[in-house]
Amino acid sequence: MRLFVIELRKERRTGVFLVFPSAGVLGAVYAFLVFHLRKDTLLSLPSAPMDILLTQLCGIMTVFNLFGIITAACMVCHMEFQGGAAKKMAALPVSAGAVYFCRFLILSMLLLAAAALQNLALLWIGRTDLPQGAFVLGTLLRFAGYVFLAAMPVLSFMVLLASCLQNMWVPLGVGVAGFLTGMAFADTEQPLFLLHPFVVMLKPAAAMNAKPDIAVVIAAIVETAVFLCMGFWLTEKSHYE
Amino acid sequence: MDNIITTERLTKKYKRFTAVDGVSLHIRRGSIYGFLGPNGAGKSTTMKMLLGITAPTAGSFSIDGRHFPEDRTAILKGIGSLIESPAFYANLTGRENLDILRRILELPKDTVDDALELVGLTEAGNRLAGKYSLGMKQRLGLAGALLGRPPLLLLDEPTNGLDPSGIHEIRSLIQSLPERYHCTVMISSHMLSEIERMADDVGILNHGRLLFEGSLEELRCYAGGQGKPAGGLGKSADGGAAAYLQPGGVRLEDVFLAMVEQDNAAGKRRAE
Repeated sequence: MRLFVIELRKERRTGVFLVFPSAGVLGAVYAFLVFHLRKDTLLSLPSAPMDILLTQLCGIMTVFNLFGIITAACMVCHMEFQGGAAKKMAALPVSAGAVYFCRFLILSMLLLAAAALQNLALLWIGRTDLPQGAFVLGTLLRFAGYVFLAAMPVLSFMVLLASCLQNMWVPLGVGVAGFLTGMAFADTEQPLFLLHPFVVMLKPAAAMNAKPDIAVVIAAIVETAVFLCMGFWLTEKSHYE
Repeated sequence: MDNIITTERLTKKYKRFTAVDGVSLHIRRGSIYGFLGPNGAGKSTTMKMLLGITAPTAGSFSIDGRHFPEDRTAILKGIGSLIESPAFYANLTGRENLDILRRILELPKDTVDDALELVGLTEAGNRLAGKYSLGMKQRLGLAGALLGRPPLLLLDEPTNGLDPSGIHEIRSLIQSLPERYHCTVMISSHMLSEIERMADDVGILNHGRLLFEGSLEELRCYAGGQGKPAGGLGKSADGGAAAYLQPGGVRLEDVFLAMVEQDNAAGKRRAE
């Protein structure tokens, strides 16, 4: 808890506390705008109203969150390398692995806040704009959990990369490349592509119904754990030099 | 003898380059140990190994009877350090930077003000560290090292970037530390006259090898015996200024340069 508070204090003026709420607000505004402008077109699609509400708006929200993750991970780790603070931390009685874990936890909580804002917008739209009796809160909550879980491998992967690479442009470039390749392979059925964390994150956005895909859930849990453990091990074992 | 730091044939190799070559140091508790050497001699690398920032290739060391990595936390809790350039969070103020260190070291709140005051940074404490001048950054780095008044200080060229009055101020502060806070200071500097004025003992490093270790008086005797320029060395009661200006006196710098030159020549002969 002490380390978590220290990590929070370090993030002052980095802009990281603005990134995720911005992604959340942008996602929510996008959902309101699209549903109000294209309500009739969307509801005339050959799917259940709940599937339309969740899958048709999910794509852009996911993109906002994805770029939020890439930017925030780069910001948080760049701040450690910018003034040589990482070197100072290496000479202090603090576990580098624990610091890494706290950083991951902070970004996860901020992503959760962004997702909460976006899902509040979906809740509002569902209650006001869907046909009477079509809105199901349980479906929304289940899909929100699924989307959040699918985003965790990218978060875990980006924190790992940004923590290991001192040049911020490298993880930023990898993040953008990951997004582009993820977009290209998101709708493929080949399970091998689930090894790509960006594909996993974009899978719910490419789906045509709001039913969670168990393969995506398993891939998300495994990849998140693997990247997190790798990052923890690397930071704990490696010396500053 | 009560040594706070003892190294045993400490070695660091980077692929085929040997940065530190079998260095055995003995640093007395409560002393100021001057670590001398030209650029690239291995001073910073040795200090980094003592802090666990880099791992030794061979050899071992103990700090206050403790060993890395098993006693890492206990060792680092008792060391204040400033290695190479000052390290800080550019997005935080000087005070916030020290507060981060204070929280990690689990020190009381007033240690931050104490450290800022010691280095003369109280007024600039609420400014962003990223906007500090080089001298102010150096002072902030030193404040971070002095935070909580640790029993051991490892300072790598701590007066870098300071103006002459700042150098004098920080030098006086470092000189006073063993007496005021009963701490041990290991200090490296390329300003050899500075070490001459502050140190009780010196270690001279060249190409990663320890050429000499002992008190300034022993260095004078050693240099005399080796046919190197000697005389006029030693710290005077007023902090060494008299020795430095003594007519006909030879500074540590002259002895040091002669020693390094001889070692370089021997190295060349070995290479041939």
